[in-house]
Amino acid sequence: MDIPSNLGSLGVYLCLFVALYFEVFLLMSYLEKKPATKTADLPKRYPSVAMLVPCFNEAATLAQTVESLLLLQYPKEKMRVLIIDDGSTDTTRQIGEKLAMQNPSQVQFYHKENGGKYTALNFGISHSTAEVLGCLDADSFVASDALIEAVKQFEGDTSIMAITPAMKVYRPRKVLELIQAVEYTFGIFYKKMFDNLSAINVLPGPFSLYKREVFERIGMFKHAHNTEDMEIAFRMHANGLKIANAHNAFVYTTVPSTFKTLIKQRTRWSQGFLQNARDYKYMVGNPRFGNFGTLVLPFSLLSFAAGLYMAGYALYHLGYTLWSKVADISVTHVPLYLSPQQLSWFYINTSMMLFVILAVLMGTALAIILGKRIADTEVTVKALVFYFALFGFVAPVWLARAAWGAALARESKWR
Amino acid sequence: MITAAIFGTAFYIASRIDNQRIAEIRATEDTISIDILSSETQFELLGNVDCQTLAQNPVLSDELNTLASQLSVAEQNLGDTNPEVIQLKQQYSLLEIKDYVLLQNITNKCGGKPVYILYFYSNSGDCPDCNQMGDVLTYLRNQYPGLRVYAFDYHLDLSALSTLKTLNKVNGTLPAMIINNRPPVYGFKNLDQMMALIPELKTLASTTSATSTSNSSSTKAK
Repeated sequence: MDIPSNLGSLGVYLCLFVALYFEVFLLMSYLEKKPATKTADLPKRYPSVAMLVPCFNEAATLAQTVESLLLLQYPKEKMRVLIIDDGSTDTTRQIGEKLAMQNPSQVQFYHKENGGKYTALNFGISHSTAEVLGCLDADSFVASDALIEAVKQFEGDTSIMAITPAMKVYRPRKVLELIQAVEYTFGIFYKKMFDNLSAINVLPGPFSLYKREVFERIGMFKHAHNTEDMEIAFRMHANGLKIANAHNAFVYTTVPSTFKTLIKQRTRWSQGFLQNARDYKYMVGNPRFGNFGTLVLPFSLLSFAAGLYMAGYALYHLGYTLWSKVADISVTHVPLYLSPQQLSWFYINTSMMLFVILAVLMGTALAIILGKRIADTEVTVKALVFYFALFGFVAPVWLARAAWGAALARESKWR
Repeated sequence: MITAAIFGTAFYIASRIDNQRIAEIRATEDTISIDILSSETQFELLGNVDCQTLAQNPVLSDELNTLASQLSVAEQNLGDTNPEVIQLKQQYSLLEIKDYVLLQNITNKCGGKPVYILYFYSNSGDCPDCNQMGDVLTYLRNQYPGLRVYAFDYHLDLSALSTLKTLNKVNGTLPAMIINNRPPVYGFKNLDQMMALIPELKTLASTTSATSTSNSSSTKAK
């Protein structure tokens, strides 16, 4: 093996070490503090809650989203739904107004000029006096006991300032939806383990809940490179405000079903992460910000770099192998053929790297199984096969696009 | 600690499999060694006997081809400077030479028209074309199971190999090939050129095409 090839492999081993270290760390965290099982207990007190539903051209799903909120097991007088139409150009406004008319005691509708999701959220916050403010994207639906589970979490630890739910994919059917269903299950495990470490890195649009005090202390949502849900988590950690995960509060979200929309969404998320990490670079590796600064933020950045490196390495090798094969055929005139002997075990590549990759994949599989157990999620074998076969090819596309966009400081689009 | 332990385990498993491979190669070499010794004894026993018996009971080992490709894998995994690999290659080369001598003896006694190539390659960086030459010969051996390719690392430290090189007047230009005892051919030859250089292959093809699936291997000379 020549020196560049050795250096290339060394880089892959480093990436695998980082991935494995992180997986082992989180699995150990799981063993130390296993998530509590769901109980039938009810909160001692029901704080007033305002569920904000920012929407832009969500006519297809808005009614179902609001209906799922109205079905929440929570005292009706304690919960309001605020639909904030951010200048939609479809029939969102008509649907929103109709929902408010049908449920005047619980649903309020507001229409404003288009200004971006964060402006819609801030509008809702300033038009409410509730103790707890929740966000729900208009393409997501909540389980009926989700709010009670979240409120119980607030009640159990008064230092908790915000809560994230366990997110599941709503009715996954197509290949990309099935892949994301597995990824979200994996995310349930990660989110809970980040909770164990007090280092949750994002408060997602579907059903994150905040105490009003958060906005009073650190201000409202910001544009934040179209990832206001990530920036507020960074800002909360910067100000020592605690975020927890209610793994028994389920929310179902619709996910992109085409390659184009998936890449667009993930590029926005990934680029937003890079740009927010740059804005909050003083937190990276800084023990003043706990595990978020010393562990989650550096490892997330390393994982980003590792994903890109591994994809580049694989692409280089694939391209080089193909190019060499074509060059060899043109010189030797030997056609492509398969020798029966090559099917013997003796010729299978059994390098150390193969076994380390297998260990990383096993760690991933274990995280998925635990995520499935934590939130009682259904993951089919078909979905797992698609995930392991395709995710590694799809993810590098948005990682590369996000890195490129962040390097050029080009803002991603959220719609 | 746990991550390091997993890396250590991966290293251990990979090493165990490599050792398993070495053991398999050694076992194959032992088998071939016994085969050749048996063949030589058989040949001596039969003495002036009828060559028909020899034709019915082939004495030349078919496993040399398998061994060649297995050694190629071992070289890739462990490196061509690994002492164990070098030792296996030395033993393999000796077996090849013995097989070659046996082939000569049978031909002298019984006639026949064997088709064989003595192929000299190098892994030391002085033969950029050896890899592609290896591809051509591997393909030919796959297509013509009757073709015997004896591949030798030119720089392998083995006195019997030095004698073979001297006898065949092979100079240091690589790749080098002796085809059916003809003067050495130097430099890379593609498939079409090889077919032209070995017209005997056409006869071989017509006699073996129906059963040309048993042998395959790589005479990889990297």
